[in-house]
Amino acid sequence: MRAVVKSGVGVFTPQGFLDGNSSSAFISMEDIEATIKLNADMILVSLKKVIFFNRNGLDAFVKMFAKIRTAHHTTVGFCDYDYKKFQAINKFYKNELNFCLFQSQEIASLFASSFKNQNKNILLFSPDKSQSAAMAIELHDNGHNPIIAQTQEEFNIKIKAQNAYDIIIKDTYLGQMGQKVATRVTGNAIIYSVSSFLDAEIGNTFNISYHNNSLNVGFRLFIFEAYKVVSMNVHALNFFSKLASSGAEYNATICFVGLTFEKTPLSFKETLEDSGIMFFNQMDDILKNKELLEDLGASSAANVKTKRVLNKVLVTELPNFINATVRTIEMMTNAKAVKQSVNINKIEILEKENKIASSIGFYGDIDGMIILIFPTGIAKKACELLIGEQTDDEEMILDTLAELVNIVGGKVKTLLYDEGVSVDITLPRTYQSIDALLEVAQEKKGVQVELSFNNDKFLFFLTR
Amino acid sequence: MITQDKIDGFIRKIPPSPKILKVTLMFLEKGELVKAAQIAKEDLALSAYLRVLVNKPIYGFKNQVNDISQIFGILGVARSQQAVYNYMITLLSPDKWKLFKLNKTSFENLQADLSANWHKILVYLNINDKDIGSSITLLPASVIVSEALFREHMDEVSLLRSVHAIDLNTILVRLCSIDLFDICEQISIKWEMSDNVALIIQASSGIKPTNDVTLNNLGKWMHLLLFYTLSKPNFIEAGLNDFIDFQIDYAQDVYDDFSKVMDL
Repeated sequence: MRAVVKSGVGVFTPQGFLDGNSSSAFISMEDIEATIKLNADMILVSLKKVIFFNRNGLDAFVKMFAKIRTAHHTTVGFCDYDYKKFQAINKFYKNELNFCLFQSQEIASLFASSFKNQNKNILLFSPDKSQSAAMAIELHDNGHNPIIAQTQEEFNIKIKAQNAYDIIIKDTYLGQMGQKVATRVTGNAIIYSVSSFLDAEIGNTFNISYHNNSLNVGFRLFIFEAYKVVSMNVHALNFFSKLASSGAEYNATICFVGLTFEKTPLSFKETLEDSGIMFFNQMDDILKNKELLEDLGASSAANVKTKRVLNKVLVTELPNFINATVRTIEMMTNAKAVKQSVNINKIEILEKENKIASSIGFYGDIDGMIILIFPTGIAKKACELLIGEQTDDEEMILDTLAELVNIVGGKVKTLLYDEGVSVDITLPRTYQSIDALLEVAQEKKGVQVELSFNNDKFLFFLTR
Repeated sequence: MITQDKIDGFIRKIPPSPKILKVTLMFLEKGELVKAAQIAKEDLALSAYLRVLVNKPIYGFKNQVNDISQIFGILGVARSQQAVYNYMITLLSPDKWKLFKLNKTSFENLQADLSANWHKILVYLNINDKDIGSSITLLPASVIVSEALFREHMDEVSLLRSVHAIDLNTILVRLCSIDLFDICEQISIKWEMSDNVALIIQASSGIKPTNDVTLNNLGKWMHLLLFYTLSKPNFIEAGLNDFIDFQIDYAQDVYDDFSKVMDL
């Protein structure tokens, strides 16, 4: 069974009856490993469509959870259950609950590393005080405003206040959380959250591929949020020094925020500063200082190291890229595509109005970036298949567009693999306007292909 | 990906029920088991199918049964009719499965599991109606239709489902405004099955309840039975567990009785 991966959360959804025989047929370790490769840092099994389960049925998953958490520092658990199922799981694993339970996927996403919607007002209640506190800390760290109800009575009263809370958390349990370096994007800066002791393990928990691809895609400012770091040792020092050196050729800046040197030798700070790393006390010192942001390169996501040109291998594979894109859009819109023109030049978009764009990078045997520019009409039509209805909700369209570009990326990966070319794909990125896209791509040279879907012009651009 | 033309083409290609089967069913309808068996024997493929089907462990017969008259005699009118319809459905199945990891035997096992358990359910519900008994035979047709329509689009479907939880039935509805169960209904019409068969099958989709309380209730049982069957390891591994969405709320109110019948 394949998982659906969204915002770093991979969810498997078995249906029907889970017992000792069926569970291992539903999900294998290979399925989970494949999900981890899609940048999932949380692996969940949804019980939404399970009508019957017993302890043996869950055990098969729990054993896999333990292996995965150890190997990949991934958060694991179950989600999408009602009170009866929550009670049953608690009864089965009374003193050995070391996985997470999230009442819904929405709640799970609040605890995921790759969350994006911050500042939610969240009411939470757990009869276990240590659980309430643990959840509140995690939520606060992730940029939300948690409000803890101390008792069931208080929870019942507070819940009546309509519209006071964006999300209400109950029947949820935080087992061992993953210890991957959490990543989020704010504007054109990428923020990594690190905590506790930084040692050689940072090399395993930091997603270096994601970082490198962010550099390729054009990000230049990387902030390590280090309020909760107690100390670092020389292995971590070397890691960050190397990271800074490798980013220098892109003119990237690495900053630490909130790192104290009470238990870390001050000489480490000097070494890191020599590598070009900067230190700030508060996140707002950077994010609210526009002048500084501009100096650090976060006001524009333009890729300084853009001298990379299209190479022969990439051009040879062009039909595969176009084929993947065309087949995906045709599938999503049930319309036929007609190729109109092909040019090799800098990206040229004559009409910027009513268009949205998205991009996805790929790396491995070959590397580069696919940019797709959709007339809003085609984007809406393509999204209808996934959403199931027409919508004008821009956020939803952009979200769905990201899924669509992910499909294109996945298809490219498969087509290239069939020809013996191995690549991985990055997370997709969407742009609300063409101007936002041009900040990243206007200086890039690439192949521009104009396609027409039912007379709507659609633009494909392949670059490095 | 899939167009209305392709669906129309599939429906057009559904063959009319063969003459021997029509006559066999006619005699079964009249309760004339001996005459029905004599006709059925003329179709060697049907005879072979019936022998394999009733000798599967789920039918629970202690001794091997080979003679068609004996088979019809043991099964009785309703279950004999059900067995003949099961055979008719296999006429639509592909020689080689591509979308689902099935073969002739595993598909017949699916039919046998569904039919035998449907019989248990009808006994529990005290329903003795030939058409209702046969309605279960149309359910695996939804698997055949999925295979026929989606087998050339496996990569697209797989990629689509890696980013969005969407079942084949929903994809079909959103692309062509028709679902798998509508196509099954077309099969039932072409094969002159009773109207109730189509109504139960539509209700068993879990998304199209019928106003007839009894038939709707049977739809719930059938929906639950389908997912009970598709939760077996061999069918999960065949990729059948999530080809349509399990509507847990729809089937919830018959679950307790279902668990009694299935001894859960």
